[in-house]
Amino acid sequence: MNLSFVDRLRQFRWWHEAVLVVLLLGLLAFSGAVMPNFLTLRGQLLLSRHVWEFAILSLGMTLIIISGGIDLSVGSAMGLCAVMFGICYVNSGSLLLSCIACIATGVAGGMLNGILVAKIKVHPLIVTLATYAAFRGIAEGISQGESYSKFGDAFSQFARGMWFGVPIPAYVFAVLATGFAVFLAKTPTGRFIYAIGHNERAARFSGVSVGGIKFWLYATSGLLAGLATIVYISRFDTAKADAGKGFELEVITAVVVGGTSIFGGRGHIVGTVLGLVLIHETRSFVSRYWRIDELKAIVIGFLLIVSVLAYRAVTRKRTQSVIVLND
Amino acid sequence: MKGFRNSFATTLQNREFGLVLLIGAITFVVAWFDAGFLAVGNLRDIIVRSAPTAIVACGVMLVVVTGEIDISVGSLMALLAAVMGLMISTGEWNLSMWIGIPLTLLAGTLIGLCTGTLVAIGRVPSIIVTLGLLTALRGITTLLMGGENIDGLPRELSSLCKQGILGMPLAIWAAAVVIAVTATIIRQTPVGLRLFAVGSSAYSVKMSGLSETRLKLFVFAYTGFLTALATIVDVPRLPKIESGIGSEFELLVVTCVVVGGVSISGGRGRLAGVLLAVVLMTMIRPVLTFLDVGEAGEKWTKAIQGLFIMLAVISDSVLSRHSGRER
Repeated sequence: MNLSFVDRLRQFRWWHEAVLVVLLLGLLAFSGAVMPNFLTLRGQLLLSRHVWEFAILSLGMTLIIISGGIDLSVGSAMGLCAVMFGICYVNSGSLLLSCIACIATGVAGGMLNGILVAKIKVHPLIVTLATYAAFRGIAEGISQGESYSKFGDAFSQFARGMWFGVPIPAYVFAVLATGFAVFLAKTPTGRFIYAIGHNERAARFSGVSVGGIKFWLYATSGLLAGLATIVYISRFDTAKADAGKGFELEVITAVVVGGTSIFGGRGHIVGTVLGLVLIHETRSFVSRYWRIDELKAIVIGFLLIVSVLAYRAVTRKRTQSVIVLND
Repeated sequence: MKGFRNSFATTLQNREFGLVLLIGAITFVVAWFDAGFLAVGNLRDIIVRSAPTAIVACGVMLVVVTGEIDISVGSLMALLAAVMGLMISTGEWNLSMWIGIPLTLLAGTLIGLCTGTLVAIGRVPSIIVTLGLLTALRGITTLLMGGENIDGLPRELSSLCKQGILGMPLAIWAAAVVIAVTATIIRQTPVGLRLFAVGSSAYSVKMSGLSETRLKLFVFAYTGFLTALATIVDVPRLPKIESGIGSEFELLVVTCVVVGGVSISGGRGRLAGVLLAVVLMTMIRPVLTFLDVGEAGEKWTKAIQGLFIMLAVISDSVLSRHSGRER
């Protein structure tokens, strides 16, 4: 094994993550220099409040995108879950029952996506585009634009409260993220997800239950949408049909910036977490430093494009040769 | 008998036939309740409303046929409306209408060309590029308008868009020309054939010595141009230009393209199907108005839109499976 230096560099598997970390450190250094109170622990904790819903959703999205699919319906599913939560609370007065209804709605919605993708075999982009419109539409139709609120202080404490100085949803996310990372890296089913994303037909011929795995991936994404909705409702103390509007874009951006290939077969949870942090810090810094809210959207939109463009530029040679081999 | 069944199945598979049947059935039922639905004024109104969607759908259809997708048209419409408003409104830059309108068309084409460059030369997946632009262009629009609405578009332009030439609003004329041009491109020119070829197999096209790059640049630039055209003929009908213009327009257009029977993986689709789908989608709101479901019922519009996409894809999948076609 007499590898040249360049070959060794090529073989280094964590290029993407390394670049993300460098970008993040650069951003933090710059922001700390121009805005000293940005980098304090207190400031960061205050800013972290609205990241947890995205974080929870991004776990399911990572798995789905690795499998070569996409889920555009997560934001709308949150709207439907929120309305179900509100209606259940108004009628029963029980928070536990409402939470169960909320999660069950998410799972049911995810299962619908799963059936359409895995059993009826429709392209995921189209399936979730349909449910993107349908979930939000049903939520608006059922709730008639009404909003439900006043779920009590104890419930608000879930998203706003702290344990040992860390927001409670952070613990939920940490447990989930560890579980997802281990599942993806260490279990056969987790590895099968990569196989499906890389070459679905080959995976099927190798005896992988492609349909079954895909079905449960979308159901899981629905489950996470239900969980994210509970955090969301707890944070605002309001359940309304417009919950989670536009979340799908932000979540997909985080996953893709984190190095998961939109064509499937490549990516992992660590990358997604890095992507989430990078996007979150960029957003917070831009909106706090220039105090222009629109700039956030512009920066994130271009960050998404530039990150993929840069990755393509670096890996151009390799990908092209692979394509020729495959054909 | 078998021959009959086969031809029956083929007819059912014909998307245009299904759409005409559906539009006919809905019209029949609504006219049963309220004959006013069939009044010339109402039918004309439906056609006028569907014209801008039809214009943009012609471009997006070609994009989808080449195997790409464009979900940025709604945000692009908002940006172009803002640019046009700033250029030709009284009290802003006070440019002449005859300079402002060509410049708007040029701006749309150039932005489309940029999208195409990123996709065809930068090799960034189109879903990523247009997802990024969806957020970024909307942000730029809000920034440009500075939180204020633009009114004071030239009186002549507004009246041209409302009353129009020879009793037909400008949008109808524009749509007619665009449909004729698009149909000619698809049917009569080598470019049309090549677009379908790229969508069917990009690899074969490359091996046949055709340039995939130029074709993709063309479809994205064409879509940008058509979005500008739709903006010019549609936006002046509104009393003022807001930054929220065209939100979810991309969803409507992609829905029409998919419901119209264009394959999302490229290479298959007919213009007639797309146009019928545009009419069907535009009909939903007036139909609900005529059924007198009140405000409560109109909240269901989006749910119905989602239902139609689901119906379209499920029927597609189920019918083609019964005919035993290779999928």
